Amino acid sequence: MRIYAILVYLFLYIPIGIIALFSFNAGRHAAQFTGFSLQWYGTVLSNPFVIGALKTSVIVALSSAALATLSGTLAAVALQGVRGRMRAFYDALIYMAVMVPGIVIGIATLIALVTVFDVLNPMLSGLFGEGAPRLALGKGSLIAAHGLFTMALVTVIVRARLQGMDRALLEASSDLGAPPMRSFLQITLPQIAPAVLAGFLLSFTFSFDDFIIAFFVAGSETTLPIYVFSSIRRGVTPEINAIGTMVLVASLLTLVSAQVILRRRAR
Amino acid sequence: MTKFRDHIPAKEFLQRLESYRKGSITRRHFLGVTGLGAATAMLSSAMPGLVRRAHAQGSIGDKVVIATWPNYHDPQDFEAFKEATGAAVDMNVFGSNEEMLAKLQAGGTGWDVVVATNYTIPIYVGEGIIEEFDLSRLPNYDPSATDPRYANPGIVDGKRHAIPRNVGTTGFCLNTADFDGSPATWKEYWDLTRDQLSGRVIVHDYQLTAIGNALKYYGYSFNSVDPKELEDAEKLLIEAKPHLFAITSDYQPSMRSGDATMSMCWTGDATQMHRDIPSIVYILGREGGEIWSDFFTIPASAPHKDAAYALIDFLLEPKMAAREAMFHGYATGDKRVDALLPAEMRDSDILYPAAELLDALEFGAAVTMTNPQRAEILARFKSA
Amino acid sequence: MRPGLRTALFLAPATAWLLVMLVMPLVVVIVFSFGERGAAGGYVPAFTLDNYANLGARWTAFRNTLTLAPLGTVLCLLIAWPLAYFLALKADPRWRTVLLILVIVPFWTSLLIRSYAWIQILGGSGLPRIIADLGLGKPRLINTPFAVMVGIVYGYLPLMVFPIYVALEKLDRRLLEASGDLGSPPWRTVLQVTLPLSMAGVATGSMLVFILLMGEFLVPQILGGGKVFFVGNALVDLFLQSRNWPFGAAVAATLVAVMLVTVTLYMRAIRRLSGGRDDVALM
Repeated sequence: MRIYAILVYLFLYIPIGIIALFSFNAGRHAAQFTGFSLQWYGTVLSNPFVIGALKTSVIVALSSAALATLSGTLAAVALQGVRGRMRAFYDALIYMAVMVPGIVIGIATLIALVTVFDVLNPMLSGLFGEGAPRLALGKGSLIAAHGLFTMALVTVIVRARLQGMDRALLEASSDLGAPPMRSFLQITLPQIAPAVLAGFLLSFTFSFDDFIIAFFVAGSETTLPIYVFSSIRRGVTPEINAIGTMVLVASLLTLVSAQVILRRRAR
Repeated sequence: MTKFRDHIPAKEFLQRLESYRKGSITRRHFLGVTGLGAATAMLSSAMPGLVRRAHAQGSIGDKVVIATWPNYHDPQDFEAFKEATGAAVDMNVFGSNEEMLAKLQAGGTGWDVVVATNYTIPIYVGEGIIEEFDLSRLPNYDPSATDPRYANPGIVDGKRHAIPRNVGTTGFCLNTADFDGSPATWKEYWDLTRDQLSGRVIVHDYQLTAIGNALKYYGYSFNSVDPKELEDAEKLLIEAKPHLFAITSDYQPSMRSGDATMSMCWTGDATQMHRDIPSIVYILGREGGEIWSDFFTIPASAPHKDAAYALIDFLLEPKMAAREAMFHGYATGDKRVDALLPAEMRDSDILYPAAELLDALEFGAAVTMTNPQRAEILARFKSA
Repeated sequence: MRPGLRTALFLAPATAWLLVMLVMPLVVVIVFSFGERGAAGGYVPAFTLDNYANLGARWTAFRNTLTLAPLGTVLCLLIAWPLAYFLALKADPRWRTVLLILVIVPFWTSLLIRSYAWIQILGGSGLPRIIADLGLGKPRLINTPFAVMVGIVYGYLPLMVFPIYVALEKLDRRLLEASGDLGSPPWRTVLQVTLPLSMAGVATGSMLVFILLMGEFLVPQILGGGKVFFVGNALVDLFLQSRNWPFGAAVAATLVAVMLVTVTLYMRAIRRLSGGRDDVALM
């Protein structure tokens, strides 16, 4: 049993190890290791395209995860009190949002948004004249398209948590005369907090890692996965390995510090 | 290079320029504060008219987006552009003209400059996607320096909609370290694929060249849309499919790693690979194949038109164009640039093939891009 | 605040999101799927069923997806289940959290970069060279369905391990002990007690992996060398290469329909298998 586990961990980590190892390669090509060097980290950090793409990815992932977590949590809480046809309607929509493949969402969103923009933009310039805001694909469409799937995911996760919640506490609270808002803030929220946090982290990861939706709706923006995809096109250099390693180390550090903070709090 | 301060806002730039012209600050001071010094130092006299034009065009904004090909520009040149004008260049990279057209047709791209190949220009013009050029805003463009054969596809209905950038051919590359032989025709390319080189050949993921070069096997036109001829080409492609290493237009990694031995290939990739791995050679099929020229175009929807003109003019300046050519390995077709290239590039038969080989080549035709049968053949080829 | 008003307010952002980003795009796709391709590509409004009649032209893509997606899901499941079992029931509790986190960590490197690592491993100078040096022949691994399968299993394994682990972890150990005390050999306990009780996790995990695989584009593109053609790849080509948007829309609509049917059937089957308990939810 243990040997099996070790084998699976090897399977999981050998590629990661190779990515990390070759990020220190002195040579330009990933085929063989020609000596130790940190030069690719320097290359990455001084490459404005990488930094720009990283910035875009972080902004998009943070905003879409925050918005998705907020709307998803609110929806999950509200849906508790919804029954009948309304409930079936929302269940069906959320089910669809989780299930429709990213590639279909990407293509469909691109066509739909562009069609709508074509109608709205002339109206906007009619309303505001010269300096009218112009709707276009970009960070906004990225955030909205990523958030669709993750919001549905957050709703599902938080709802599962709400179902497992101890209702006796809520009842006790309202029996003692607490207004619903107060019961919500003091009893419900702390109980669903881990699910909300998990939902946020999942949403961030999904958005940060997504290529296919971004490929269609990013407009002229370049996210990190789009940058990596076009770099692989251009040829394989340890630069990509260095990016991968840095992202991995950054997420590990975030996780470890989160753990440490949570432990301290628990004490 | 010494560290200069970042660019200053365009408005301030213009004020400083005004002061400089009036003589209230020295030239050195002007270059120092505007950050132009860096660019000037690096490019020496590379951009003689830049300051004047930057002024003439007023503020060009802080951003310009170019849709272009992989390995096509030296990122440092874009840095220099940013230093000189304050506009940062965003680059979107594509694998085919079809992909660019699809996104432009969908709209909302935000692109300011699109690098397009000859055969797409009529479609772009027909669809109202690109605009006519105002040549007075491109002082570095000299129509007389480029062979009309390459430049003319940019002129539609007598109006110049596209400015020629690079020219080249589509042949195939072969790693002679892994294969002892000297194929010289497309017939040999496809025969070797199904025989000695089985499992080691790459075909483009691109209807124009994949189907076009299969058509050449039978001696048909590269641009044929004749249903019968296309059927033959499809048969050949499907027969070859199990023997292929990959169907991809991104063949450099596999050629360099040695996983693939032969691949359909564009001139610039051949130059780049040959430079690093001399055993990779470039062959133009004797039956013919594709000759092409790429163009700068400005979409009608471009949000930063001033910056688009500035960027194109910046890249057209002969010294800059020569720098770029040394990076991407394509010929520019511009005589002024050719004169500045190092001898090993000027003498390269990859860039400047023998005249008799060139005569057999054809420019891609717009009809291939819209022909439904070609699109379906490629899909069947890939899913077979 | 009135409860009705509160519910409406709470639901408003999600509703807007679902309507604008899900319903509207799907309606547009359906409308497009009845249209015609423009002369230079794109979409021209029309009403025709030709695009659906023509679906046979992408049958191979559907066939590949409908074989490789379930196969990939099953492979993930076969590899993930014993690992989840080990983590939940056999591993040293002190190390459990660390081991669990180690399963997810690879998930934080982008799928693109992880697939790209496999190019290096499966490419000619990687594993095949080692195999050749051992004198076991000269296999070709990269750009084959095998490589795509490895990439898929590698990419989605954590998504399978996690829900199964959660299900097994919740499981009442006394049941397992009782089974042992009654003289069942361990394998029977696993088969008759542990496995059925883990069904909720199995359902969730396989659903997630299956859904992602049905729309997969990247892994076949990167590790299949353009030779392994999924519906996802067909869609990208239809939209970006041949620009036959109406046909692409028909393929997309069909893909969604196929997924709705298979996923619903699968959920029913799982529900029946697990004896109709309602803890088998989508997630």
